[in-house]
Amino acid sequence: MDFGYNAEQEALRLKVKDFIAEHVTQDVLDEMHGIEDGKETGRRGRGPRVAELFRKIGYQGWLGISWPKEYGGQGGDRLSQYIVEEEFARVGIGVGGGGSGAPTIMAAGTDEQKDYYIPRLISGEISLAFGFTEPQAGADLASLQCRAVKDGDEWVINGQKMYTSGAHTATHFYLMARTDPDAPKHRGISIFLFPMDTPGITVRPLWTIQSDPVAPPATTYGTARTNETFMENVRVPQSALLGEENMGWYVGAMGLNLDRVGASRYLISVRRDEDIVNWVKENQLGDLSLAEDPSVRDKLAELWIEAQVCRLMTMRSMSIVEHDETFTYEGSAEKVWAPEHGVRTAEAISQMLGPYATLLRGSHGAIEDGLYAHQLMGAFQSGINHGSVQVMRDQVTRRGFAFPRG
Amino acid sequence: MDTLLSEEEQMVKNSAREFLEAECPSALVRDMERDERGYPAELWSKVVDLGWPGLALPEEYGGSGLPITYLGIVLEEMGRALAPLPIHSTSVAALTIASAGSEQQKQDTLPGVASGDSILTWAFTEQTPRYTPDAINLEATLDGDDYVLNGTKMFVDNFVVADKCLVVARTAARSEDNEGVSLLIVDTSSPGVSHIPLLTMAKDKQSEVTFENVRVPKANLVGEADRGWPIVQDMIDLATVLLCAQMVGAARMDADMAIEYAKNRTAFGRPIAAFQSISHMCADMIMWVDGGQLLTYEALWKLDQGLPAQVEISQAKAFCNEKCENIVRYGQMIHGGIGFMMEFDLHLWYRRVCSWTMRLGTTYEHRARVAAALLAHEGKVELGRPVVAV
Repeated sequence: MDFGYNAEQEALRLKVKDFIAEHVTQDVLDEMHGIEDGKETGRRGRGPRVAELFRKIGYQGWLGISWPKEYGGQGGDRLSQYIVEEEFARVGIGVGGGGSGAPTIMAAGTDEQKDYYIPRLISGEISLAFGFTEPQAGADLASLQCRAVKDGDEWVINGQKMYTSGAHTATHFYLMARTDPDAPKHRGISIFLFPMDTPGITVRPLWTIQSDPVAPPATTYGTARTNETFMENVRVPQSALLGEENMGWYVGAMGLNLDRVGASRYLISVRRDEDIVNWVKENQLGDLSLAEDPSVRDKLAELWIEAQVCRLMTMRSMSIVEHDETFTYEGSAEKVWAPEHGVRTAEAISQMLGPYATLLRGSHGAIEDGLYAHQLMGAFQSGINHGSVQVMRDQVTRRGFAFPRG
Repeated sequence: MDTLLSEEEQMVKNSAREFLEAECPSALVRDMERDERGYPAELWSKVVDLGWPGLALPEEYGGSGLPITYLGIVLEEMGRALAPLPIHSTSVAALTIASAGSEQQKQDTLPGVASGDSILTWAFTEQTPRYTPDAINLEATLDGDDYVLNGTKMFVDNFVVADKCLVVARTAARSEDNEGVSLLIVDTSSPGVSHIPLLTMAKDKQSEVTFENVRVPKANLVGEADRGWPIVQDMIDLATVLLCAQMVGAARMDADMAIEYAKNRTAFGRPIAAFQSISHMCADMIMWVDGGQLLTYEALWKLDQGLPAQVEISQAKAFCNEKCENIVRYGQMIHGGIGFMMEFDLHLWYRRVCSWTMRLGTTYEHRARVAAALLAHEGKVELGRPVVAV
């Protein structure tokens, strides 16, 4: 066991912090969130400021540190990549791992797919939207109905996808569709990768409870907009198929665990633990000092300790990856513990601050521009997205301890 | 950063587990609950051969010189097996002497520990069950070349078999300069020492120990007179993190038993593990015990590196107190009625884990220490960056 960072890693962290302070300006962040003059642009792909930022990050050698050099990475260690990921995630920027999807493409893609997608995902030139959930297929994802039918050298896709977050800005779609309706449900699914501007795709906004008013950017699950996406005779080439035909369920599972862990997932659940301690240290509510209230102190410590467990579970995941070992239940356990912790924190903070934490962004008298109020509306969502905590608990016991199905 | 055990660490863990599975069946644990001395001589001599009492003691005094982390790993496995052996109290006292004692004290004490001939313990708690200097009232007054001790200590682990006891005593009133607390090595056979065994939930061997005009040579003072508090605090911290390791080991075994039971017990025509209400309880047990283990390992590692570890130790104990207790309660719930029958083994784990949550700092005390550190931290706190105890 080793619970420290080496001198090189410590130095890297400081260097990244300095870089962020200098280069990650409000302009860049606004463009990244697709906001211009306070309004959403819905522009697809990255704008010039973000592209410039990623060029600079790339110049530092911080993109895809642990990815092979031939795919645009640095051939380095996972932990250094984690450090870069964590520091950028603290300002809401995803860098480093090539994002969601890349691990699956790496594991299941053809040479052409790997050559095309991995370097571009690492550099941020390509971003993916994910088409999994459907109106009638949520937790029971394998019952999905979106159809892909072979027609000569092409596939024709028809159906509807829900909660396709980022579909209005992403460059490419990562879609699960049914390719064999007669096979058992897990064995008739395939994954397709294709550009979002392929004819026949319609993206419609679904506005979340964080959209009116729009949550402060630091809010966990503060996303104002997700989408529903419709496919009408969308024609994609055979080369859009990722992995083996009809094996998409298993292909997708290769990357999902890696998507459920990491810096961004970790920070989603623990940022408010840091914020509230720092807030309580520096602020009062009228004459009331929360820092001197024994029940508040007890709760702050309890939450802090839970957050440490979030951090250590994340470090465990990094260690498992570093050792080239495979997850059995660890990723699923982390995906239960961290989101539920995030909810406990949001709820506890609301009880510390009382009525002031009901005030939303822009309201007169709001604390931290409504951050804690919006946090309470967002935190629970991480227990739903990417596999609900109920599904994750089943995975812990089934995968880790060979529990029978109910 | 690597939260997984190294090959060597894993080897120590595996061999400790295999050894205890073979040598320490639950029947032995039960026998020792009724035994006056509380540990079996035969098993003791076997673990002495394995080098456990001197595992982390310096080689020059007969120890193996291994890092504290290894001792933690062995105690974790002892917790799993509920091994009735006085390793915890002996190690805590011996390591305190090894780090804070005089050369003479080390030579007099440590080789006997490593050879298994000497069992040690330590005594802190009196009437006020809190780990603060104010709680120490047992008087040690200098008279010629001796300290004269008067007072009573509670919850002294393995006193009945210990030949030496590290006693935390008050040698002066608290001043601006120091806490007025000193640490003394007391021979348990000294005239004026008496003890009453306590009947604890864990049915382990704890005593109330009374000191009546007990003369202790000045040479037995560990560290400086009146300024012993930092040494005492280190001793309590060490005892605490090692207890966390035991709790994690015991809670893991309890979870393993519950999981096994859930997969074999049928109700309504299927194994109860197939019911999500049971499956989800088991998932929580695993998640909690993993969390306690990670916090404990981090605290052990920091201690071993000579880094400040008080906050990490308090984090581990506060978490283990709550979660390990929840785990063993879930274990009971999953087992149903049979789980609390005397003839069934599960209560052996339940009683010990519950008992350990109350020793060496309650949840509230440890959280108070963490909160004090967080709120006194200069600048903003950030997870993953050290926060040091006040």
